[in-house]
Amino acid sequence: MRKDLLLSAILLCIAAFYYWVSTDIPVSTLEDEVGPRGLPTVLAALLAMVAIVIGVRAILIPAGPAEAKEAEAPWPRALGMLVIGALYIPVADFIGYWGALLLLIGGVSVYERMKPTWRTAAVAVGGATFFWLLFVVVLGVRQPQGVLF
Amino acid sequence: MDEIANALNMLVTTPLVPAALGGLIWGMLGGACPGLSASITMALLLPFTYTLAPMPAIVMLATCYIGAEYGGSIPAILIRTPGTNASAATMLDGYEMNRQGRAGEALGISLWSGVVGGLFGLTMLVMLTEPLSRIALLFRPTTYFGLGILGLSVIASLSSKSLIKGLAAALLGLMIATIGTDPISGVSRFTFGQPDLLSGIQPLFVMVGLYAVTELMTRSGVPSTIMKPNTTVRVRLPRFPMMKKIARSQAIGCTIGTLEGLMPGAGGTIAAFIAYNESKRWSKYKHEFGHGAEEGVAGPEAANNTVASASLIPLLSFGIPASNSGAVLLGGLLIHGLLPGPRLFEQNADVITGLYAGSFIADIAQVLIGIMILPVAIWLVNRPKAYRSAFILALVLSGVFSVHMSLFDVGIVLSAGMLGYFMKQFGLPFLPAVLGVVLGVALVESNYRRSLVLSGGDFGIFLEDPIAIAFFVMAGLIMIGSLAGEWRASRAAKASMA
Repeated sequence: MRKDLLLSAILLCIAAFYYWVSTDIPVSTLEDEVGPRGLPTVLAALLAMVAIVIGVRAILIPAGPAEAKEAEAPWPRALGMLVIGALYIPVADFIGYWGALLLLIGGVSVYERMKPTWRTAAVAVGGATFFWLLFVVVLGVRQPQGVLF
Repeated sequence: MDEIANALNMLVTTPLVPAALGGLIWGMLGGACPGLSASITMALLLPFTYTLAPMPAIVMLATCYIGAEYGGSIPAILIRTPGTNASAATMLDGYEMNRQGRAGEALGISLWSGVVGGLFGLTMLVMLTEPLSRIALLFRPTTYFGLGILGLSVIASLSSKSLIKGLAAALLGLMIATIGTDPISGVSRFTFGQPDLLSGIQPLFVMVGLYAVTELMTRSGVPSTIMKPNTTVRVRLPRFPMMKKIARSQAIGCTIGTLEGLMPGAGGTIAAFIAYNESKRWSKYKHEFGHGAEEGVAGPEAANNTVASASLIPLLSFGIPASNSGAVLLGGLLIHGLLPGPRLFEQNADVITGLYAGSFIADIAQVLIGIMILPVAIWLVNRPKAYRSAFILALVLSGVFSVHMSLFDVGIVLSAGMLGYFMKQFGLPFLPAVLGVVLGVALVESNYRRSLVLSGGDFGIFLEDPIAIAFFVMAGLIMIGSLAGEWRASRAAKASMA
């Protein structure tokens, strides 16, 4: 129940924010009957209604027995994985594709509880080289160049 | 005759064969990795198809789906861990056969049933798709709007646990679809002055983020409970007496697979379980089920492989995806500017012929490739989960960057992953959101507004189109049916609590 109440509040906030930003959509001389603000306004209203229904249901209907769930990562750990992915963007921009990938593969492996041994380092080097060969050499796709080298 | 000649010509003049085999191998390996469903495997392939010509790109995605259905049965049989959801039914008797030292036989039956199911589904696809798509020649903007609403109503049947949460997910998807330049007036919406957002957020990035990145986040640090498969197993294809024994369950699987493939929201998993049940019901050897019955492997495998082709019928005819994998394939079609419907058959006949020929090649080739790839699949299953996660993330980031050579796109995918994690935590299903992104602006909003432009703002135009009215009624019935189902389920839950 608490989770659904929280979901309801978050969805209401999203609906309000979305509507608020939609009021900034510029007016066009090519505007039709509905206009570019038409759908966003309807969507914001619908999401607000859905959020309210979820909230009311959470209060009125007692929660059923908890379903068996597969083991999942706690949110700080899950977020950590996302941060490693996000760090790839500036690192690739700075040191280039091969180096960034090396750090990414090594970093994720260690983050996923693999011991930082020579084997892990070799997998990271091998993996980065494999992807570099696949994308840059075989497929001819340009990957981030980096400014350092 | 001309079409067969064209297909044969394609074999030598286009990259059809490598695309079909490449997709098949990718699908088998992805399907064999526990945790990578068929849709995730296809989503990981999407960025690679971006730079290809439309025909090989679509062939690769479709054959990847075919491959993933067999690949999923490998860990299901060997280590009691279904590689894809649909292979969970195969596990029931497949793993029992493995415990009896008959793993090779179980894999052979799975492979053979996959071929039978795949070829049957392909026959249905060829026979039904074009005639059905001809209906779409009568479509006007109002009809397309009605079709879009029907497509979105599929959300109801896909939100098995909670319709309201399915609607919330769909609305989030629709909101994402409104980012970018308005298709009618040309003004920018929700771009926050960011030029990279002017062309909108591609469904491709949302799908890769929701399916692949979210999975990596959710499973981060969770210890792998997967047991090590026996590396000496070899596939043993069934001989004639065994083929005869499993023929009935394969026929049941093919029939159920076709019906489920045609129904939006049903998908391979439901088909496989129904086929298992029905195979048991009609079997002469009922007592063997649950104890290593060959028919218990053949029925579900035939069913989920039939679904892989049959689910393309509503997708290619009307653009309605029946499952997550169908949504990814629809994304692939739209990326290459291919709109499902009769014009696809007229203007892009080469893509359709290639798709049929490629699927045929994949269905036949899966016998040989399935045998050859088994040691590689076992090796892959045996890799530490940490390395698998690292390589998948590297593949996602490299693949997404290669679409537009833009790190901004990488950021979009990671944001979609974050959204997916949020949705998963609160029980919001992914497929409605994907449908919202794919169908939202392109089909629903554009045609709604075009209809009103044509009528000068008169809403009565929607009531003048009988096909649109039929779509609205069908959408309404789907929603009511789903609400009734949810109400019944909640009453049953209350009764069991009391």
